[in-house]
Parts: sequence; structure tokens; C-alpha cells
Amino acid sequence: MDKPKFVYSLYISTTPEKLWEALTSSAFTQQYWGGHKIESEWTVGAPVKFIKPDGAVDVKGEVLQIEPPQLLSYTFVCRPRGGAGAEESSRVTFEIAVAFGITKLTVTHDGFEPGSLAIEEVSQGWLAILSSLKTLLETGTALAFNWKP
Amino acid sequence: MSTKSEFIYVTYIRTTPAKLWQALIDPEFTRQYFFGSWHDCEWKQGAPWKLVQPDGSVPDSGEVLEIEPERRLILKWRNEKMPEAHAEGYSRMTYEIEQDDDSVKLTVTHSIDVPDSKLIKAVSRGWPMILSNLKSLLETGHSLDGASPCSRE
Repeated sequence: MDKPKFVYSLYISTTPEKLWEALTSSAFTQQYWGGHKIESEWTVGAPVKFIKPDGAVDVKGEVLQIEPPQLLSYTFVCRPRGGAGAEESSRVTFEIAVAFGITKLTVTHDGFEPGSLAIEEVSQGWLAILSSLKTLLETGTALAFNWKP
Repeated sequence: MSTKSEFIYVTYIRTTPAKLWQALIDPEFTRQYFFGSWHDCEWKQGAPWKLVQPDGSVPDSGEVLEIEPERRLILKWRNEKMPEAHAEGYSRMTYEIEQDDDSVKLTVTHSIDVPDSKLIKAVSRGWPMILSNLKSLLETGHSLDGASPCSRE
């Protein structure tokens, strides 16, 4: 049986460079990623942190692959809400390409632990986040999701 | 080994269920985001349904299985152009619409009781383009300006 993974593609009216900036800078992530800042030096092996509006680190990881503005992969360590506070590690990869003249983003989230609780939360989260990212880049404002704290 | 093939896509769109519904069924609107194609259908349960391409050809056809305006549409859907996909018979395509905070959630589920389906493989590439286009059109008034990848494998 295939290992569970989340794969999602979307097309955005933007440039690969602008999309790269949106994935790697807090000025953008704060608008479409549930108010979270993203912090990293963006070199292989560097830590990645998603910081909640209250200053707490929500998700952390480490850069695995980075080729601006085409490929970014980092480990993704979070504590699923449904769990007993235990951390779960997985991996997210962003691939940016131009297809049919439009910037295409493919997000693959995989490497989940057996019996993962994170996969459902992560998958639901990306659907909202990536819809909001597209809206932000195309209209200038993100979707106003009522993010759970 | 799974005995069926399924593609699921979710997108959140800044619009209303009424506008989204119109966008999904109205021929003039559909043409703008569906590779120039449109639905030829009376939109009632049991009515025949056809997708019509700009040159008048029909790549897919079937019938309306369920219709609940602004909530849900289910089509029986068979490919009419690719021999291998056609031979798989009818698939099932569902649009589901739900209000979610300030946006509307659209879930598209396309499935068939065939393992490793050629049809589902083809539509898995098409739906992300069509639905990205639909979202842009509803939110900005413009669809994406890419070349039209009409020739599906």
C-alpha cells in the first residue's frame, strides 16, 4: 500500500520569484498562514520556525533542499491537536514551475510517521492556506479564515 | 490494491454559494475557465449532460444524477474521446459547495470503480487548472491567461 501523503497543485497569476518570496517571508506568511511568521536563514540545514501571533513556535523544521525560485523542502515538526502533546515529524516540498504560461505551485507533504495524527490536520491546513495564498497574490488581500488558535 | 480511482480537489473561493453555483453551470461563465468548453444540460435530475468544446465536439457526456442548487451537483460522466478512458465506462463527478467563514469551499470529487483509471489520471491534471482558473475569475474578474491545454491525453 502507498504511504499516505498530501499532494496539491494550483496555478497562480504571479511570477515564480514573487511566489518564492510569499513562501519564505513573514510579510507574506502573516497574511495567509494563520497569522504566523516564518523564520529561517534559508540555507540547507538551517532551522525553520513558524511563530504564532503570541510568539510561540508552532511548527519547526530544518531546510532539506533549497533552489530559489524552484524548489524548497523542509522537515515539518508539529504537535497534532488530537494527540497527547507529542511531536510528529514529516516533510513538506514546494515545487514552482511555469506550465502553460502560468506559475504552478505543487505542494507535497509526506514522510508521515505510522499512525500519523498530523496528516489530516496538515492536509486540511494546506487547503485553506494555499487557497488564501493564491487570493493574496492575485488580489492583494488574503482570505479571512477564522483560524483556530 | 484499491479497486477504484479517485481524485479530490478542494478550493476556497471569495464568493457566495449563489455566484459559485452560477459559475459552475452557466455556459457563458463556464467557457471562461473550462478550457473554452461549456456544459450543455437542462440541469435537472436525469437530464442528459454534455461537455462541449469550442469546435463543437463532445469530449465527455453523461447525465445529472443529483442536483441541489447552491449545494451539490453529481454527474454521471463518461469520456467520449480517449478510447481507453471511454472503455472504462461511467465515472461520477461531484461538486459540493459549503459556506466557510468569508469564503466558499468547493470540493470536487471525481471517481470511478476502475483501478489505475486513465480517465481519473487525465482529469487529475485538468481539474487543478480549471479550478485555479475558476477561483481567479470569481475573485478578480479575470481568468488565468495561460495557453489552453485542450488536448488532454
